[in-house]
Amino acid sequence: MTRSLFGRLALYLTAIVIAIYSAFPVYWMIVSSTRAPQAMFSSTSLWPGPLTSEYYSNLLELTDYPTQFMNSLTVALVTVVVTMFFSVIIAYAVTRQRIRGKKVIVASMLYAYMFPPLLIAIPMYTFFTRIGLGDTLTSLVAAHLTMTLPLGVWFLWGFFKNMPFELEEAAMVDGCTRLGAFLRVVLPLSLPGLLTVAIFSFLLSWTDYTFALIMIGSDANKTVPVGLASMIGSFDLRWGEIMAGSTLIALPLFGAFALLSQYFIQGMSAGAVKG
Amino acid sequence: MSSKATFASFLIIGLLITLVLIAAPVVYAISLSFYTMDSFVADPDWIGLANYTRVLSTSAFWNALGNGLVYSISTIALQVIIGIGIALVLNQTFRGRNLVRGLSILPYLLPTVVIVLTFKWMVDGSIGILTRAIAALGLPPIHWFESPQAAMASSVMVSVWLWTPFVTTAFLAGLQTVPASLYEAAKVDGTNAIQRFYHITLPMLKPVLTVVVLLRAVWTFNKFDVIWLLTGGGPVGSTEHLAILSYTTAFTKFDIGGGATIATLSFLFLAISVFIYFRIFPLDEEES
Repeated sequence: MTRSLFGRLALYLTAIVIAIYSAFPVYWMIVSSTRAPQAMFSSTSLWPGPLTSEYYSNLLELTDYPTQFMNSLTVALVTVVVTMFFSVIIAYAVTRQRIRGKKVIVASMLYAYMFPPLLIAIPMYTFFTRIGLGDTLTSLVAAHLTMTLPLGVWFLWGFFKNMPFELEEAAMVDGCTRLGAFLRVVLPLSLPGLLTVAIFSFLLSWTDYTFALIMIGSDANKTVPVGLASMIGSFDLRWGEIMAGSTLIALPLFGAFALLSQYFIQGMSAGAVKG
Repeated sequence: MSSKATFASFLIIGLLITLVLIAAPVVYAISLSFYTMDSFVADPDWIGLANYTRVLSTSAFWNALGNGLVYSISTIALQVIIGIGIALVLNQTFRGRNLVRGLSILPYLLPTVVIVLTFKWMVDGSIGILTRAIAALGLPPIHWFESPQAAMASSVMVSVWLWTPFVTTAFLAGLQTVPASLYEAAKVDGTNAIQRFYHITLPMLKPVLTVVVLLRAVWTFNKFDVIWLLTGGGPVGSTEHLAILSYTTAFTKFDIGGGATIATLSFLFLAISVFIYFRIFPLDEEES
């Protein structure tokens, strides 16, 4: 298609505006986290520098940030593993057999999309406090599963539904058991779907603030989002450290996105993502 | 293991997990709304519907419902308009398109906390980059959180920025399904770009739009952290919506029954709205 010079110019200009609109805050976060303290107050330059790593070393040496980072990582990884395990099982059972319990599962997962977070958080917190597991990472994992499990089941349900039965039947004719056919044929073929579920479960758990705020009370068990947010409540605002902390939580997500962007986009266009 | 036994065990595990993790908390929350409890370890006392009559008679509840509606509707309207605009531009061919597409998704990857903190830093009273830019342009300083209107506008702005990529991505995927021949034919008939958008693009993408608006509406209405971190519901309750009201009732006033009641009512309201939405915009589903 040919376009007039004016049209092309307008197109590139809007594209640049879109890029700045979407990326400038992220850019500014990174620039601010590396700009020397005296320049933070005086410099109006949009370019990075003068550089410093002071905020990062303060954050890692003087605050609970490393502990919180490990807490976040533990919670997110456990959530991912548990989500994948159960959503595979549930989605497979639901797609491959006509059974009565099926409707209950599918309907619950659908409604779970609409639950206000407090409708889950209040009873969960009450329950875990009463059984003596309040303020633990376990309770936080349980809360995160209420978001990630419906997502996983929905997504894999769609995935398994489109996978022909013949594949498993062929494997079973060749002497595989049902479980064997599932493990050796269905799972390997579902790898893209499984990756998408893993990515989004990680994203939901890693970025969660609401459940972490409610389920966790002690500094030692806080995850990064809650830890960072509490830095802004203190009297002197240490913007450099706050931006450094923000950059560090965002970094793994950018890395994952750069490597696995097709799965991100697949999941987002499937509308599978809560947020 | 036989085929039947494999299935049976899969199904039992599935049902159990669903019951324990999804159904049980909600049933527990709803049952808590019939009790009064002033701490999380206290023994609950049955009071029937008293929590409901009490909550529904407070102005705080109706204020929060109203704020939630203003917040959700303006956030959704703006993100749909901006998201569609961006999708239309990113659907054109130009050099560097993949880079801009990648960048346009960035906001969605960031944790809410990061977005809110970065926004607060950018509008910091004396040295924020936006504050400086506004001063450099000779405009009067903006007080982002001080008046009720400004606090609501800031909340909407940040939320729109955060969720636009969702609309963009869904719409961009939808645009790929519109056959190019339709546009060619319309062009031959002498239509202009705006007519083609209204008569081809929009009708073709109506199913996508219906789902996107529904999902975004549900999640925006339920979203707690953006406003909580930005304004804490203030000033004077002007940005307090049902999620925040429910949180403060249960976790700062320790009125657990009251908090559970607000959460339940909020869910009921949402369920009814979704039901009505489906009546107005039925999904023509052939797949399920």
